[in-house]
Amino acid sequence: MALKLARLGKQKKIPDSLPFWLLLPTVLILFIVQIYPTVYTAWLSLQERKPTGWIYVGTKNFERLFRSSLFNESVGHTIVFLVSFIALTMLLGFLTALLLNQKIRFVGFYLSLIFIPWVISTIISGQAFRLLVTPDYGVFAGILQDPALFPPNGISVLTDARPSPWFGSFPFPPSKGMILLVIASTWRSLPFTALLILASLQMIPTEIIESSRIDGANGWQIIRFILVPIILPTLVVTIFNLILTGMNGVAIIISLTGGGPGTSTQIISYLLYSLGWGQIQFSQAAALGLIIAVVNWILILATLRLTKVEEAR
Amino acid sequence: MKKNLSPFNKNIKHGLTHFSLALIGLFCILPIILIGIISLKSRMDIHRKPPVLFPCDTPTKSFDIRACRWSLEGYQLALGMRPDPDALLGFRLTGNIVRIYLFNTFLYATAASLLVVGLAGAAGYAFSRYRFRGHKVLLTAILAITGVPFLTNLVGLYQMGISIRKSALPIDDRVFLVLVYVGLFLPLSAWIAKGFFDAIPRDMEEAALIDGCSPFQSLILVVTPIAAPGMIAIFLLTFVNVWNEFMAGYLLVAKNEYKPVMFGLYDFMGQNTLNLQVVAAACIIIALPVILLFLLFRDRFFSAMVEGSIKG
Amino acid sequence: MNTKSKLTTLLSFLLVLGLLAACAPAPAPTQAPAEKPAATQPPAEKPAATQPPTEAPAEVKDVVTWFQYDAENMDEKANEAVGNAYLRATMPLFNKAFAGKLNWVNQPKAFDKMEAELINLAQGGGDVPDIYELFNSVNNFERNGTLQDLSEWAKAQPWYKDLDSSALQACTGTDGKLYCIPLAQRPQVVFVWTGRFPNGYPTTIDDFLAQAEALKKEGHYAITFFGSTDKGGSGAYRGLNTMITSFGGRYDDGKGNMLLNTPENLAAIRFIREIVAKGYAPDTVFAGGFEEEASYMDSSAGSFPTGLHSWKFQNNMTAPDGKKYDTGTFEDPLNAFKDGELVLAHFPAAPGKTPGCGTLPEALAIPVGAKNTQGAYDFINWIMSPEQYPAFVTNVGGGLPTLKTALTDPTFADDVIIQQAAKVVSESACRPWFGSLARPSEAQPLIMNALYKAIKEVGDDQIEGVLTQAQEEYNAGN
Repeated sequence: MALKLARLGKQKKIPDSLPFWLLLPTVLILFIVQIYPTVYTAWLSLQERKPTGWIYVGTKNFERLFRSSLFNESVGHTIVFLVSFIALTMLLGFLTALLLNQKIRFVGFYLSLIFIPWVISTIISGQAFRLLVTPDYGVFAGILQDPALFPPNGISVLTDARPSPWFGSFPFPPSKGMILLVIASTWRSLPFTALLILASLQMIPTEIIESSRIDGANGWQIIRFILVPIILPTLVVTIFNLILTGMNGVAIIISLTGGGPGTSTQIISYLLYSLGWGQIQFSQAAALGLIIAVVNWILILATLRLTKVEEAR
Repeated sequence: MKKNLSPFNKNIKHGLTHFSLALIGLFCILPIILIGIISLKSRMDIHRKPPVLFPCDTPTKSFDIRACRWSLEGYQLALGMRPDPDALLGFRLTGNIVRIYLFNTFLYATAASLLVVGLAGAAGYAFSRYRFRGHKVLLTAILAITGVPFLTNLVGLYQMGISIRKSALPIDDRVFLVLVYVGLFLPLSAWIAKGFFDAIPRDMEEAALIDGCSPFQSLILVVTPIAAPGMIAIFLLTFVNVWNEFMAGYLLVAKNEYKPVMFGLYDFMGQNTLNLQVVAAACIIIALPVILLFLLFRDRFFSAMVEGSIKG
Repeated sequence: MNTKSKLTTLLSFLLVLGLLAACAPAPAPTQAPAEKPAATQPPAEKPAATQPPTEAPAEVKDVVTWFQYDAENMDEKANEAVGNAYLRATMPLFNKAFAGKLNWVNQPKAFDKMEAELINLAQGGGDVPDIYELFNSVNNFERNGTLQDLSEWAKAQPWYKDLDSSALQACTGTDGKLYCIPLAQRPQVVFVWTGRFPNGYPTTIDDFLAQAEALKKEGHYAITFFGSTDKGGSGAYRGLNTMITSFGGRYDDGKGNMLLNTPENLAAIRFIREIVAKGYAPDTVFAGGFEEEASYMDSSAGSFPTGLHSWKFQNNMTAPDGKKYDTGTFEDPLNAFKDGELVLAHFPAAPGKTPGCGTLPEALAIPVGAKNTQGAYDFINWIMSPEQYPAFVTNVGGGLPTLKTALTDPTFADDVIIQQAAKVVSESACRPWFGSLARPSEAQPLIMNALYKAIKEVGDDQIEGVLTQAQEEYNAGN
């Protein structure tokens, strides 16, 4: 391995094995905890368990998954969830960052307040929002279930049947449970999103905004044509993070809705969890895990691609 | 000179800004406050139809501050408070949450964070200071790993955990879990560390090297003290992340005495389905340490989060 | 330098390989999972490390058990406090009885996760317990080869002849082998607040609907039940199953196929839809998280079809006449039963049908690969002894004794709940919910999702389609 201290050049002979030893433990641990399990999951997805051991079954697990109605349903739920969760979080996060990026008093106080949800674990977040809307006993149940306020029968977030879909079997409009899930997830992710956007806004030189204002640009035009293009890389990174958060968001579903009402908040990662640890079908769970990983990558690459297109404009 | 960074120069008054921020702040803090209120109710006020926000109503008035029936019942039950004449304060805490789970999580979070700081510091330093073959590839690969959802890996990790338990390796669930946490939070931390090292000027190291220090000595004696604030930020970030992690602890730990606190809390929710004041109290007890940690070291958290994500 | 780097690379690669070898999947497919995984151990490990330190001193062997209950949990108000207290009291007794020979070690497990964990552990050849508390179908375990066949051993034991045959049936796999020893039966019964049904709990569907309407006018619910898809679809075997079987419905065709779209099931589902649509049951029925229980606890719902053993989890109750039972322990329902405020009943049956009820065993099983099988045998024999049996059935089983002679034992003869339950069961047709389905854990969420859809989400004309789709999906895997 040829190693070279970047700027020091030839001034002094450096034992070039140091970076190797510095990096070795990290690479090893990532290999054991991240790469090997992924490979193992991929292998598992092609096996089936018999009392005698694992046997190779080819793509049977994938075929069973694609045939299952719950899988198809949960793909729809995932799309609805991811799109609305990311859109709402980005919108609110951008707004919060713009508001915080002003020379006003109490910014520190607002920052602390807005960032509290970030240190609350997902399982507690789910429980907290559940306690707000639990039928009959939740904090807001009295208001929500009042037929006078919400005719004809009041709203029961955790139990109301989902509305009949507009587009074939695609689960839109979402159930009230799904809306609650989106709100709770947004609540949890808003701090992180707002912070990243705020940090990148603060890196923008003031002159740019000042000069464009002199040129007669209004607030919206400044946002659309000055701010957004500059902070676009940050927005992309933030969206990556939100995709990952959304894709991994099982804990909040477990404590918030348990997948209900009905199956309306079962996104594919929840399905993976219930396939593996509820129905004890690890091969199918592995197959689904592989699909989620691939979809994740496609989403990330697609976002990158779109960004390039946007930058080229 | 006037410095206004907002795109809305005079269109929006400060009042409106404050109002909007207060509104967003309220949205962020409201669920926590409501959980706090629930945790202070007694059981008879939990299951009221229709529900009451404050347990302060009297037969004649809907709110009377003198009639409030606040109660610490939830906390007493969640902590398993039990009178004991021999104990220091006259009672012992017998609940699993304090006795086992909080302690475990503190242990896991500290161990994992220390390891992550050490490894990420080393890796970040190497990435920041050296150019070697595969530098860019490795750096990208480490980031790319995070693109695989953790849940996918958990299927494999779960089977690995079982194999480890049956093998003669001296690794129990605790060691394995800490290892998994390290692997989970290492990629991001390595990037954060690289950013922090990039920001440190090299002059001092170079001086140390010229003075005859070995690179390793200069790393320990010169670089580490300067990098300490960044490392603390990584420590805090990892600590809070491990504290709050649920799925890995839930699926990888088999023994009750090794459960981390979020797993314990989940069990606790199942055990007290109707005693919502107890569940709420447990949530508060478990969330409080990290909330305090965050409020104390807010800017450290921010620097780590920004460094890890934007510069990456 | 170059050589050194190469050497280190090679070394680290070997290290990784070594680590991975330890984590490699179970032995060759031909090997039975029961075999000790000695062959897969890394050769470098010293054999001494494999010896549990407890074995060394005086040959006291551990009997490791997995119960839903936790002896260490002192919280008197926890749902599972009764079982927890039982373990705390009984473990020293066992250790005393087998002093110098056996030591009872319990590992508490979450009730909805322990099955998956055991099956996976046994498949991987991992550290399985010697005794497993089993309270659902044995079919999952049979299919995965997780449990030891106890047929031969059990037949040689003195208590075998006294075991109820239907209880034995619940522990028998589809291959006719006995995979667990049933200690108690947990039938699904209906808990009834007598104050809400002064003329007795209805015995016909029409009467039920009439009384429900009357209760609704008073501002009360006739019934609450677990109707959510939460908790792994376990609603499929709770109250819903009681209602469906009371219409003569079932989930299978008796030959291992799922069969949901039957006239009986349809009639039952239409009945449940009517209950929901007319508001005879509270909203919490579908909320999950066992929140439906609250309406039963404060008697705003007059009846609650659920597992008999759940009375141990009930507390802080208010009777219809306003009388409070609020010690916060299982004494609450017990006192309510003694006062006649609560009674057990069977569900009203459709015309010409017998009231239905699901039943599951509370049993002990020995996993394949258990380290101390002989200790497990001793454990079961000790629990089955006349001194220990009643306490186990009462506190852990929470159901009806499976030993036929035990019903006359003073513990049970004086137990108002047990006696009422025995009567209810004798008047009903009780059978396990999964019938001949060989993959209950897979069937459970499928059935529950379909039932939920049929009850709550689709129009009347789509019910059959929903049911047919679920059964076809399951049967495709046969």
